[in-house]
Amino acid sequence: MAMSANLLAVPVAAPLLTAALILLFARWGGRTLIRHQIALTTLALCINLVVAVLLFRAAAGQGQRFVLQLGDWSAPFGITVYGDGLSTTLLLLTALVALAVYPFAVATIDYHRARMGFHPLYLFLLMGVNGAFLAGDLFNLYVFFEVLLMASFVLLTIGAQPAQTNSGIRYVVLNLLASTVFLVAAGIAYGTLGTLNFAQIAERLPLASPAVRTVFAGLLLVGFGSKAAIFPLFFWLPASYHTPPPAVTALFGGLLTKVGVYTLFRSFTLFFPELLLSWQPTLLTIAGATMLVGALGALAQPGIRRVLSFHIISHVGFMLMGLAVALSGNSLAVGFGLGAAIIYLCHHMIIKTALIMAGGAVELYMGSDRLASIGGLVSRQPLLAFLFFMAAISLAGVPPFSGFVSKLSLLQITLDTRHWVVAGVSVFASLLTMMNMMRLWRESFWGDYSRPSRIPSRILQSRARQQLMLTPVALLVLLSLALGILGEPAFRLSMQVAQQALDRQAYIEAVSPSSQVSALQIHSHTFEVETVSTTRP
Amino acid sequence: MTSLLLAVAVGSLFASGTYLIMRRGQIKLILGLALLSHGVNLLLFGSGRLTEGRPPIFLDKTGYAETIELNLPADPLPQALILTAIVISFGITAFVIVLVNRRHTVTQTDYVHGEFVPLLREGDPFDFSESTEIDQHDWLAYEVDEVYDNDELLTGSPSFPPSEQDESTAMEEDQYKWP
Amino acid sequence: MPELYLRFLNRILTPVLLLLSLYLLLRGHNLPGGGFIAGLMAAAAFQLQILSRGHDRVRRTIGPYLNSGIGLGLAIAICSGIVGLLDGFFFKGVWFSLNLPLLGYLKIGTPVIFDLGVFLVVVSVATSYLLGLSRVSDAAALLRRDTDSPVPPDSPASVLWDANVETGPGADS
Repeated sequence: MAMSANLLAVPVAAPLLTAALILLFARWGGRTLIRHQIALTTLALCINLVVAVLLFRAAAGQGQRFVLQLGDWSAPFGITVYGDGLSTTLLLLTALVALAVYPFAVATIDYHRARMGFHPLYLFLLMGVNGAFLAGDLFNLYVFFEVLLMASFVLLTIGAQPAQTNSGIRYVVLNLLASTVFLVAAGIAYGTLGTLNFAQIAERLPLASPAVRTVFAGLLLVGFGSKAAIFPLFFWLPASYHTPPPAVTALFGGLLTKVGVYTLFRSFTLFFPELLLSWQPTLLTIAGATMLVGALGALAQPGIRRVLSFHIISHVGFMLMGLAVALSGNSLAVGFGLGAAIIYLCHHMIIKTALIMAGGAVELYMGSDRLASIGGLVSRQPLLAFLFFMAAISLAGVPPFSGFVSKLSLLQITLDTRHWVVAGVSVFASLLTMMNMMRLWRESFWGDYSRPSRIPSRILQSRARQQLMLTPVALLVLLSLALGILGEPAFRLSMQVAQQALDRQAYIEAVSPSSQVSALQIHSHTFEVETVSTTRP
Repeated sequence: MTSLLLAVAVGSLFASGTYLIMRRGQIKLILGLALLSHGVNLLLFGSGRLTEGRPPIFLDKTGYAETIELNLPADPLPQALILTAIVISFGITAFVIVLVNRRHTVTQTDYVHGEFVPLLREGDPFDFSESTEIDQHDWLAYEVDEVYDNDELLTGSPSFPPSEQDESTAMEEDQYKWP
Repeated sequence: MPELYLRFLNRILTPVLLLLSLYLLLRGHNLPGGGFIAGLMAAAAFQLQILSRGHDRVRRTIGPYLNSGIGLGLAIAICSGIVGLLDGFFFKGVWFSLNLPLLGYLKIGTPVIFDLGVFLVVVSVATSYLLGLSRVSDAAALLRRDTDSPVPPDSPASVLWDANVETGPGADS
């Protein structure tokens, strides 16, 4: 029994509806306002997780492809929502990360921010991310990008402290520029190919002139790349991620750049698989530079969250390396690189969120995250020290954890395809990561206990809140451990997912099952209408 | 001819938008963003092929196929795309204006500071022992302990009625009942 | 104190603008118009109120309902999509025909309801943005008059934040 494709609407509709309800009753809540908001949000996050698990099992486990044509309008005319292994994997991880960060957010977000609408914004952000993973055409991808950006703008600046507004401006401007570039790409796609639907673009792009292909691919690389924070376009990330409350940083670090990475994966495998080969040197150079700059930049940073946000950049470089070598193996190993990149993406989303939450907890206990002014927390918070250590070595890639499996597989495919330089760079970046993680741990947990410069917030004096803060970190670390121990089946699964994502023909067939819609044909650069038959209800 | 005109308009909008964004003033920034979004909207408009005087929607369904065969209809999609893009840029412009206004009130300056100034200081770049220097350079520097959960600093924030203030302190001291 | 002619125009124009926005909302399915444009038109009516009567009074009148308006609009829009689920597809248009005594034959469907949701969201977002901005400019003027020196960084004068400006209008339309 195939599951109904209508399930695809839930990850977007459920958070939106819940946020709408929260806003609707925000006025009448009275004393129990925030409590009800928290309960509703938790409910929505749980529904989201359940649906994501269902979709993941069907799509990634059994290789199903879900296509929902909204309102029964067939593919190029209506809005297509598409879910396959790749998007449902990310959907599942997003649901996990969102659910894991939420207790931390509940424990640490203060009353003022909650009053200003933190909880509905959390749901709006989740909705935008989910929608971007499920979008089946370029313009809806843009819309969901903007939804998630809008939510992230407000989450970033909520509370409106000076540092937040200052970083908020940089974040907003650079992300808007990226969106503009992306929208230009969409306009060019519509002008030259006459469509915005992913499947139809994939169908028609091989017929288009090389100039169109190159411009389109370049614009998408710049637009998505700057969302993903690749090498020359990453400046918005370290400029802003350290200013909001740690819960917000954990959510951003887990989700936002991954949307850019996902869209890079999707667009390059679906639209230009041949460019993936001819642009391989460029992509590998970008990947190497991203890894190196991220790791080196982290070395020069004075605070926990600044270090961690530079490491996000470094790890995006690893994923890009996986994409760049995706098609270059022999015919048996096609997709190996992408599979490795996908498993790296999973590992990164899980462990980076855990690490930022642990770092945020350190920050809350010490009253500061500047490494020079903190230290010796291991005697006061042994559990936190343990969890931070586990997460840190997992990020660095030490064997029992998921970091090892993912880095090993990436390195293996890169060496197999004889890209020695970038492989060397990735090893070097991993070493730097290890060094940085050890620096973080040593500076914040070892040494003499330095009394916090300010009295740590009263929030942390209750046991319940400490448990709310640390339990999700522990669960995510356990998940990373499980992913590392079950590396073999996980890797096989992600190989399947990658194969599915690389199968362009199946995507095109899944989205437009009938040939009713092949009405527009391209003649050089203009097109003529021959017959139009829509399935107009 | 019209398409050339359109191309020139799009190009000049992009050029002036980019120039304005490069400046360090915030008002110029807003204007630049607005110009850029206008440029993109115009580009989307041009992507639908400029056809003059043709209807996009046929109310007379019987002559539908013949009309299409005779001449290309106007493309109805770009206007929908532009409308959506306008909605989005409206929302974002609104947000940026409020943000900039807020920042201007706090800092009394229109100037956008650089972020990486402290990294350019002399001496050992990895020596963080005297990190006060960073604060001096970037006086909007990040101070986590002041940023959240400190009620006293939110002096001007909207005052809650007494009942809600109770709740606020209850949350702080965790007599608050968690769901 | 607002000008006399503004107050006078306000009385005439506000009902006209509101009626016009309703008209635009209802004709929007097949003809130019629709939820977004109608919403902006209604927000213009509220802006006229803000200009002529001062933002304080307007805020006291409609301010508390704005967040609820956003929520209600989003909820209506999503629910109109869920209605389509009964017919098999999310967001499928479902049409009802009503035979009303006075108006005659009326065809109403989920797209119209969706537009109504969009209308509510746009009115609320735009109005709360206008209200927030008017308060911001007021406070900024006040602050400039009060202090000559720049505000020290550790005492942010944070009168200004309006949380209402935030929901993405990109979600609709």
